[in-house]
Amino acid sequence: MNYGPLIFLTSFLALSASWFGFVLTPQIQIGRQPQGTNSINPAELYPQARPGLAAQGLQVYRANGCAACHSQQVGQTGTVIDVRLLEAGTNAAAVAAALVNANVGISTANAAGLLTGLPKTILSDVSIDVAKLALKALEAPGAKGEIKISPVGADIARGWGRRRTVATDYLFDQPVQLGSQRVGPDLANAGARLPDLNWHLLHLYSPQKMVPGSLMPPYRFLFQVRKIEQQAAADALRLPKEIAPPEGYEVVPKPEAVALAAYLVSLNANTPLFETPMTVAPATTNSPAK
Amino acid sequence: MNACCSTPTAAAAPDDINVSCRAPLFVLFGKAVGWLVAASVLGLVASLKFHSPNILANCACLTYGRVHAAAVNAQLYGFAVPAGLGVALWIIAQLGGIRVVQPGIIAFGAALWNIGVLIGVIGILAGDSTGFEKLEMPRYAAVILLLAFLLIGVATLFTLHDRRERRLTPPQWFLIAALFWFPWIFSTAYLLLTVCPVRGVMQPVIQWWFGGNFTFVWLSLTGLAAVFHFLPQFAGRTLHSSQLALFTFWTLILFGSWTGIPASAPLPAWMPALSGIATLLTLVTLISVGVNIFHTKQGGRVSSETSSAYRFVLFGLGMFQLAGLMRIASVLPPVSAVTNFTWFTVAQAQLNSFGFFSLVMLGAIYHIVPRVAGAEWPSAKSVRLHFWLAAVGILLVAVPLALGGVAQGFKLLDPAIAFQDVSKATLPFLRAATTGELLILFGNLLLAANLLGLVVRCFRAKLVPAFASVTAEMKFAEVKP
Amino acid sequence: MSQPTPPSTAPAAESPARGAAVPIWLIVVTVMLFYLGALYFDEHGGWFSEKVYGPYTSFQQVADLQISGAPNPLELGLRVYNKPTCVSCHQASGQGAAGQFPSLVGSEWVQEAEPGRIIRAVLNGLQGPITVKNQQFNNAMVPWGGVLSDDEIASVLTYVRQNPEWGNHASAVTAARVKAVREKIKSHPGAFTADELLKIPAAD
Repeated sequence: MNYGPLIFLTSFLALSASWFGFVLTPQIQIGRQPQGTNSINPAELYPQARPGLAAQGLQVYRANGCAACHSQQVGQTGTVIDVRLLEAGTNAAAVAAALVNANVGISTANAAGLLTGLPKTILSDVSIDVAKLALKALEAPGAKGEIKISPVGADIARGWGRRRTVATDYLFDQPVQLGSQRVGPDLANAGARLPDLNWHLLHLYSPQKMVPGSLMPPYRFLFQVRKIEQQAAADALRLPKEIAPPEGYEVVPKPEAVALAAYLVSLNANTPLFETPMTVAPATTNSPAK
Repeated sequence: MNACCSTPTAAAAPDDINVSCRAPLFVLFGKAVGWLVAASVLGLVASLKFHSPNILANCACLTYGRVHAAAVNAQLYGFAVPAGLGVALWIIAQLGGIRVVQPGIIAFGAALWNIGVLIGVIGILAGDSTGFEKLEMPRYAAVILLLAFLLIGVATLFTLHDRRERRLTPPQWFLIAALFWFPWIFSTAYLLLTVCPVRGVMQPVIQWWFGGNFTFVWLSLTGLAAVFHFLPQFAGRTLHSSQLALFTFWTLILFGSWTGIPASAPLPAWMPALSGIATLLTLVTLISVGVNIFHTKQGGRVSSETSSAYRFVLFGLGMFQLAGLMRIASVLPPVSAVTNFTWFTVAQAQLNSFGFFSLVMLGAIYHIVPRVAGAEWPSAKSVRLHFWLAAVGILLVAVPLALGGVAQGFKLLDPAIAFQDVSKATLPFLRAATTGELLILFGNLLLAANLLGLVVRCFRAKLVPAFASVTAEMKFAEVKP
Repeated sequence: MSQPTPPSTAPAAESPARGAAVPIWLIVVTVMLFYLGALYFDEHGGWFSEKVYGPYTSFQQVADLQISGAPNPLELGLRVYNKPTCVSCHQASGQGAAGQFPSLVGSEWVQEAEPGRIIRAVLNGLQGPITVKNQQFNNAMVPWGGVLSDDEIASVLTYVRQNPEWGNHASAVTAARVKAVREKIKSHPGAFTADELLKIPAAD
């Protein structure tokens, strides 16, 4: 019996099964996904398409293979749910009693202490059901509380993002540059962490000056060293003496450098979505760049 | 000749088969070896930048992102695919007892493929990269490659169709599947990424699907075909079990085609989960190959003539198992949390594409070329030396990168350690890996020199008598009236 | 030089492979791995839901974590601040840059009882010399009236005026107020100067 066609058929079935499972089904499921909505402010659509200069910057990013060293995905290993008491209201004793009765792990001895020094976290790392129970117990005697949902993980602890990245974050990028290596830091939220265009330009020109010990090669070919005409250009880089050009010359970023910097500044994936629930108080969000 | 023996074609003598393979294999293997050297050089240039970031930094076409992508594509498309196709053609012709059908078309296809790779690599260095891993060659190069592959593949299938020996053996099953697999995954990937691009995160999905199917399934199909053909032959034995080989075949194509999507992907949980489970199931593929070869080897004896090639193929098989185990380990959740985004994944990829596939192909090339060319390798010592350089080299690349990657992963998990310190700590491992790459480059240069010497010897062997006969004194014969 | 003898070209002795059976233990291992895989998928696969991303394991789990209720206005304002709009000059810390961009932290301009002046500054821009917290600045502030909506301006000003980290405790700004001011300054197309602003009562 000629097994040739049989082998061909088996191969065809195996490959079409994998094509069906990992090409067709994902395309149906997430390939035509619309913009998501900000789960805190439903009027706000997310993501917005990148402005033109940033979209051009993405092409510079692609052409120079930045994804060979930088990833753009934030991971998450868990979610921590806290309950915060904002105001105790007028009847502190009733609030304390309600908390104890709610059976959420607060004993009578602790309850009174929790009502001072507000706002304060009264329950930490509990399940959502317990948190909702506690909140309900608070509201009856007139206290005001809130549930805080914080994604946690190594990337988040490093300041690389406030939540994990999901499909919606990459909706309008062509090509999506997820990267698979972290020779350099993750860039999914580079714009949130380092919003200064100038910093990025200086970093591209001389990474070792901006980040001592960096392995990143300098991208001097994105800049032009030229003689200063009547006066220095407005966008000339202000460089420290060690790497400044000789007297009478200035370093001016080429359009590619400006576009790339604009792209990096536009990278921000911190909007709360349905798939990544979170509530984080504003006071802790603008932490200094790492 | 008995008239009732209506064989479609007469059995070709082995010499005839080898002669018919000459033109296609000359182009396929010749160009492949050239690209092997080029890929090693590009890879070395890329890794040098870690030791001195300012090297060649002013040249846009030599920036790390471009050179690294060019090196990977040169290795995979410049060497791996043509070498695989050449070995596939020879095995199919030999096993079928049939001369190659249309060797001219295959040679033309091989030359076209080479042009495609050249245009593609230059395109990457010029900044036209598509941005997708292992698919960086621009669209215009990919079209040429697809056309070339179809030419070679169809002609090879015609050779298979005309075979004298009708029974199909395990190597031939694997090769049939491989010839069919590549055009589908390659054309789908380029179609859905560059011609009618899918939207958003579907792009990485297609990229990962292609990556898993190419670097695992296609390379394993072609590489294992060579292993199943050559290892028993070198050991003077027959393959232990064709049923076990069938089991390997089925598990490879069924499970292997679902691998590729990493655990950290920004995708709904079911996709990385399914992919991880499929990767775990490929453990049985590894085991079945190991058992089959183990029983095959027992009691076999390797002749000195084939010992170098045998070493290449056996070592390559060992690297197949090691790379497979690393791949499986890296999808287990506790391990992937550490090894994600680290040099460990690079070590596994190198071990698979060079340690397994390239070494097996090199062993096959060292065996096939003398038979096809009709002349021995000029330097048998070079062949032996190449093995040691390649084997030590790949281990020197993969082991430090794997260890460095694990250390890097643990450090990345600790937010107290600044990122610069994590990067700095990987440098010693990268230095060791660069040394390994240097050894691999030397080995490849030895092969290139050897091949050049062989080609020169063959041409001289043909040219000298031809020249002599043309320039010989003509003897006048007396014409007796 | 005579042609070197070619290696032996004896036909490749490829008799078909022997027929040993697949060991039964290998089949058992395959089935076991399948089973383990199914268990893992049940636990971590989210059952093919497109809304379930790791570390969540079920749609219900994700749905339970959707906290409804009025959005935190400071959260909204922060996002407008970081769009990037204000953050590029006044920085994430609100401190600006010495000599170039005034600090918003504890700034008397920001914390005026009525926000009329800063609404005008945000809508039409600010140029010329200005004194903030006893420091002189002489720069140009970009007008945001054409870029941001009244809602957005209201929420970012509320954020700036009420950011507890900066120690600002002023009243919130409503979108209606921004809209009213926008109408009033229609006749003043260009940027304001500090002197002009000081002449307009903040309650306007």
